[in-house]
Amino acid sequence: MEHGAIWDLPTRLFHWLLVAVGIGAAVTGKIGGNLIEWHGRFGLLILGLIVFRVVWGFVGSDTARFARFVRGPRAVAAYLRGEWQGVGHNPLGALAVLALLALIAAQAASGLFANDDIAFQGPLADLVGKEASDRARAWHSLVFDGLIALAVLHVGAIVFYLRVKGRNLIRPMIDGGEARATGAAPRPHHARSIAAFLIAALVASGAVYAAAGGLLPADAPPAQCAPAAW
Amino acid sequence: MKFRNMLLLAAGVAAASGTFAQQAQPKPETLIKWRQSAYQVLAWNGARIKANVEGQYNKDEVVRAANSTAAIANSGLGALFAPGTEQGKGWHDTTVKPELFKDPKKVGELAGNFVREANELAKVAATGDQAAVKAQFGNLGKTCKACHDEFKNKD
Repeated sequence: MEHGAIWDLPTRLFHWLLVAVGIGAAVTGKIGGNLIEWHGRFGLLILGLIVFRVVWGFVGSDTARFARFVRGPRAVAAYLRGEWQGVGHNPLGALAVLALLALIAAQAASGLFANDDIAFQGPLADLVGKEASDRARAWHSLVFDGLIALAVLHVGAIVFYLRVKGRNLIRPMIDGGEARATGAAPRPHHARSIAAFLIAALVASGAVYAAAGGLLPADAPPAQCAPAAW
Repeated sequence: MKFRNMLLLAAGVAAASGTFAQQAQPKPETLIKWRQSAYQVLAWNGARIKANVEGQYNKDEVVRAANSTAAIANSGLGALFAPGTEQGKGWHDTTVKPELFKDPKKVGELAGNFVREANELAKVAATGDQAAVKAQFGNLGKTCKACHDEFKNKD
């Protein structure tokens, strides 16, 4: 975690892993067949990443903390008037961050309970029954469309900053960037403690374990009926 | 008077036979029930093939399930999607999209793919090993998905 960087290493790792696994989940979900098993694994991984990021939003570095970057409508209006000076997520971008996190969480969560009416179901589908599982499947489709729209907006905004405002937002997400210390915007304080990272990683792992059905009562081995005599 | 009675009788017989003729056709509700049941049987067979390719492999069981799948695939399921069954309730509300009834060419193509892969699965089950069955089961699943994506309501 370099001193003076805008984004700390866990935030950057989270971001690019989410991109990679998200694309993997979308592609395997669209192809189907036996790849649907990977779709399920990617989904669990995404859930873990999101939980990690949410915890990191409380224990992580300055620029990663919700309390620091999530602002009210007045701050958003001020930003739109060009009066915002700061490091990290701007007040408008903060809303996009929240929307993306919420939708991706909803997508991962609905997948846990969904079924594909072919030969696959989320690890928690049996908890809610077929009808609710079908509804989860419907949400899973709906949220996917919303996510595609948000992702297009996200990339569009970055292209807008690059082309129109002449600011490269991609690079800092790769190398961390360099926070310019100005009077209005002090250099971000970085979480130095490895403990914060371990806490977030631990909570995320626990969430994945539970989501994968790890807390369900161990029942009899799956319906592998003995071959019938007739 | 007598003539008029005979006319009435004739009209009655004609009306009744018309009713009988209609009853010889299965009701839409029955057709929807049958097709929903057919897909449930496919689900049963799919579930046991999946259990076998992911767990302990029992060839006899897989052959039975694959043959049953192929039999249903070749049974002429299209007859259960007769006009008049666009909407309605069988065991539950139909989940078919109205588009299925407007694009017989596309349905035929997707159904043909399903039949082809189901037949192939039966062949592979008879001769192949667990890995081969698993791969072919995946191919079959893709043809299910192709039709679901196109013609099955998910909400």
